Amino acid sequence: MGARRVARSGGPEAQSLLPPLSRRALLAGAGVALAAAVTGCGGPAAPTSPGPLRVGAIPDQDPEVLQRLYGAVADALSGALDVEVEYTPVTDYAAAVSLFRTGDLDLVWFGGLTGVQARLQTPGAEPVAQRDIDQAFTSVFVVNAATGLAPSDDLTALALLRFTYGSETSTSGRLMPAWFLREAGVDPQGFPGGPGFSGSHDATLALVASGSYQAGVLNAQVWRSRTEGGAVDPAVVRYAETPPYSDYHWLLGPRAAERTGVPDLRDRLLDFFSGLPAGSPVLELFGAGAFVPVQASDHDRIEEIGRDLGLVS
Amino acid sequence: MPPTAGTVRVLGADPAALSGRERRRLRARVGTVHQALELVGRLRVVHDVNAGRLAQWSAARAAWSLVRPQGLPEVLAALERVGLADRAFERTERLSGGQRQRVAIARLLVQEPDLVLADEPASALDPVLADRVLALLGEPALARGGALVTALHDPGLVRRHCGRVVGLAEGRVVLDRPVAALSASDLAEFYGAAM
Amino acid sequence: MTAVLDRAAAPPVLRRDRRRWAWGVGAAAVLLWSLAGAGLFSGDVVNPGGTAQFGRFASAALSPALDAQFLGVLARSALVTVAYAAAGTALALLLGAAGAALVSRTTWGRRRAGWLAARGVLAVPRGLHEAVWGLLLVNVLGLDPWVGVLAIGLPYGAVTAKVFADLVDEVPRGAYRALRAAGAGRPAAALYGLLPPAAGGLLSYALYRLECAVRSAVVLGMVGAGGLGYQLALSFASLRWEQVWSAVYALSLLCLVADVAGRAVRRRLAAPPPSSRRDPVLTATVAGTVVLVGWSCWYLALSPASLVSERTAAQLAHVWGAAWPPATDGDLLRTIGVLAVDTVQMSVVAIAVALLGAVLLAGPAARPAGRSSSGRRVVGALVRGGLLLLRAVPPPVWALVLLFVLMPGVLPGALALGVYTLGVLGRLAAEATEELDPRPRAALTALGARPVGAWLYGVLPLAAGPVLAYALYRWEVAIRDTVLVGLLGAGGLGALLASELATFDWAAATTVLAAVVVLTWLVDLVSDRARAALR
Repeated sequence: MGARRVARSGGPEAQSLLPPLSRRALLAGAGVALAAAVTGCGGPAAPTSPGPLRVGAIPDQDPEVLQRLYGAVADALSGALDVEVEYTPVTDYAAAVSLFRTGDLDLVWFGGLTGVQARLQTPGAEPVAQRDIDQAFTSVFVVNAATGLAPSDDLTALALLRFTYGSETSTSGRLMPAWFLREAGVDPQGFPGGPGFSGSHDATLALVASGSYQAGVLNAQVWRSRTEGGAVDPAVVRYAETPPYSDYHWLLGPRAAERTGVPDLRDRLLDFFSGLPAGSPVLELFGAGAFVPVQASDHDRIEEIGRDLGLVS
Repeated sequence: MPPTAGTVRVLGADPAALSGRERRRLRARVGTVHQALELVGRLRVVHDVNAGRLAQWSAARAAWSLVRPQGLPEVLAALERVGLADRAFERTERLSGGQRQRVAIARLLVQEPDLVLADEPASALDPVLADRVLALLGEPALARGGALVTALHDPGLVRRHCGRVVGLAEGRVVLDRPVAALSASDLAEFYGAAM
Repeated sequence: MTAVLDRAAAPPVLRRDRRRWAWGVGAAAVLLWSLAGAGLFSGDVVNPGGTAQFGRFASAALSPALDAQFLGVLARSALVTVAYAAAGTALALLLGAAGAALVSRTTWGRRRAGWLAARGVLAVPRGLHEAVWGLLLVNVLGLDPWVGVLAIGLPYGAVTAKVFADLVDEVPRGAYRALRAAGAGRPAAALYGLLPPAAGGLLSYALYRLECAVRSAVVLGMVGAGGLGYQLALSFASLRWEQVWSAVYALSLLCLVADVAGRAVRRRLAAPPPSSRRDPVLTATVAGTVVLVGWSCWYLALSPASLVSERTAAQLAHVWGAAWPPATDGDLLRTIGVLAVDTVQMSVVAIAVALLGAVLLAGPAARPAGRSSSGRRVVGALVRGGLLLLRAVPPPVWALVLLFVLMPGVLPGALALGVYTLGVLGRLAAEATEELDPRPRAALTALGARPVGAWLYGVLPLAAGPVLAYALYRWEVAIRDTVLVGLLGAGGLGALLASELATFDWAAATTVLAAVVVLTWLVDLVSDRARAALR
């Protein structure tokens, strides 16, 4: 039945994963029972055969690469856990949270804020692991060179500029920068004409380069990778960097262990992630040196700030 | 449309040999009436009449006239002569078929062409009105020493309004003489040949 | 007659049609107010510094990504998009046919209150954009393919019901009354007396909806339902313009196929071949459509069971519990009021831009009747292709690239919608121009009028009515589309809705959605009155 989802997401695996016979059987009417068995997975009746582990990711950085390379993660996971693994790309933050709640996704790579949202809406969800860099993640404030601002730690100078965040519920592109702005005495919603929401870190860079917005903020990891790749317009200048905070993490759904038939799923996932050898393609894909364990309490501050800024209800 | 053979001369000029501007000038000297089908029903009568002067007007003046009708006295005078002065500001589509035909003639009157081509201008009219219309049609051209060329089916109208008659059957000229010299036998023979 | 001719007439006066005059002045005032709201008369609106960013987007149009792997992904995605469009349209037609019976005047007869109530009910599904439906349905159905099918089928079904009802209501009543008088029941009389004369219009509209559904399926993909739109959203998020253009071209191709097929069928319907036998082309179209829909249901693995499963019921209860009752705190209502004004201004500017562009481009875009020079044909094809691209690039993409060269505010969103709507309206205007009587213009050319003069007097007065009517109809659509631009961040009620949905404040989201529905309904009312004044 995962095939159906793959067809929806239009991924390259659409054909190979979907046995034509099952579709025909569906059309013939036998599918009613089949579908009932599958969709009933959230109900009390446990399926007789273990289902696949459904992995998803929110599109924060280069979703296009994520989509192409996540196959590697799925394969590695599948080999290590000996369960079938399916990757479902999702284009929308809110959709990822909702799909985690409905049980359509078992294991999701969430940002700090979206992870908190998903955990609050899905009782029993547990954080599994995060990257070493996520323990002390930062955001970078950038300004257009025409503003003439020299790098500084004084965020108050930004208050008078046209300013754009990234995606609305991005931790590194919205939540934490807004928090540090407020700490510095700048109203995070108060820029001239109101703040913009570019939708992605790359769009933030392009908009600040164009000068339509004079300043913006983005994920430090993306900033570094774009700077190293020479993809940053010279009109964009680094202005300040935030203090560190805890960000991305893997979150496991409450029904995953039961559904996949692996009772100690969380521990085995943690073992898999923390046991990845240096230089493994998975680590490379995530731009990390290692994965480390993470607790729900590591994101208490994010939850608090989210409530404070009205992003967690 | 270029002729397949020979040349066409209109008012002494060969349209195919003229530049765009010259051809437009030539066209302005020729007025045509096709059973009122050339009118724009959504426009007010005054604009439909004024359309006769589009050849002289600049684009800006043409556009402005749709807001504030230009040269109103001439338009009203022309409409007066076709008996429609009181309908000048109605939408043309609200008029009857006969009235619309007279609007088309009013357009011709403001255009002041040297040559008028009229295709069966009398076919939808009662006899009294048909006489009236033909008299009006001839006026603008005749006043300037030009001509009215018209297709008619009623020999009576031909005798009363025309100077020369040309009979066509299957694309050939089978009859061509002054109306004064037209005899009943000519007509009988012509209609016999045309059948 | 002579008496009339000789009558001395009182000098006539130019009397404007007061109602139309009032509508015209009102429209001009609203436009000025909207332009002022968009900041056109206060300070800089253009940002020349962003031309390089815009240029990168534009020049990528000439070098789309063509590597085999990406094209393969696009081809498979296109299949998903087609499947969603076909299944969604099929559902819309079923709902529309059933709904039409409920909202047609024929059903209600003189019971006007019932008729108005039925129409009011339809305004709810119609007032929400497909993307909004998609986001709501994801929360209930999760990753089930029904999300995409329902997100297209529900709003389209409501629009189709209204249009079908209008088409059936416009059929002359004679045959129907005769059947009723002969003792036939209402349904039977409608089946024999009303449906056959309306069938052509119904089929033609159904095909038009299919083309719209392809574009909607792409927008749905952008919010996560798979297909071309999903690929487009991925490439868009990392600003890979070469890939974005490849997806746009693929979408244009799909739209073109739907458009050409629809045009062929419409032409067949307008001038059926003189034979008593069934028209093979039409039969093949209907059969092909049925096969396409069957394939789509199979390809998407649609199963009716998941609509009524226990999980769906539980999720529906969850969402309903969170969303009801709607939030009514004063702050939220005030914000909605302010943003509703933004939304209206945005839609007005968008329609004005689209209308201006459509009027200018309709002439060149229309296929000339009869013979024409090859230069004229090339220009026509180019303009039509350009309009196709304008509507194939989704409004959120337009919004971002216009934001490169314009200052932030309502204007980039409004122009993004305007450009997109121009793509749709320009085509409709060109078709309206093609259907005009060519004789008045020919006559004006014959009396020596300049091309501009002939156009002003022979085309504009005739085309203005239908084109304005289309523009007013698209105004209502534009209100819904502002939500789409807003969803991806360009202001108005859409931006508020996006933020309520992102923070899972369902009660507030319900209030915003209700405001959008009411706004759409009000605009529908105004545009309906305006259309009546035009007639």
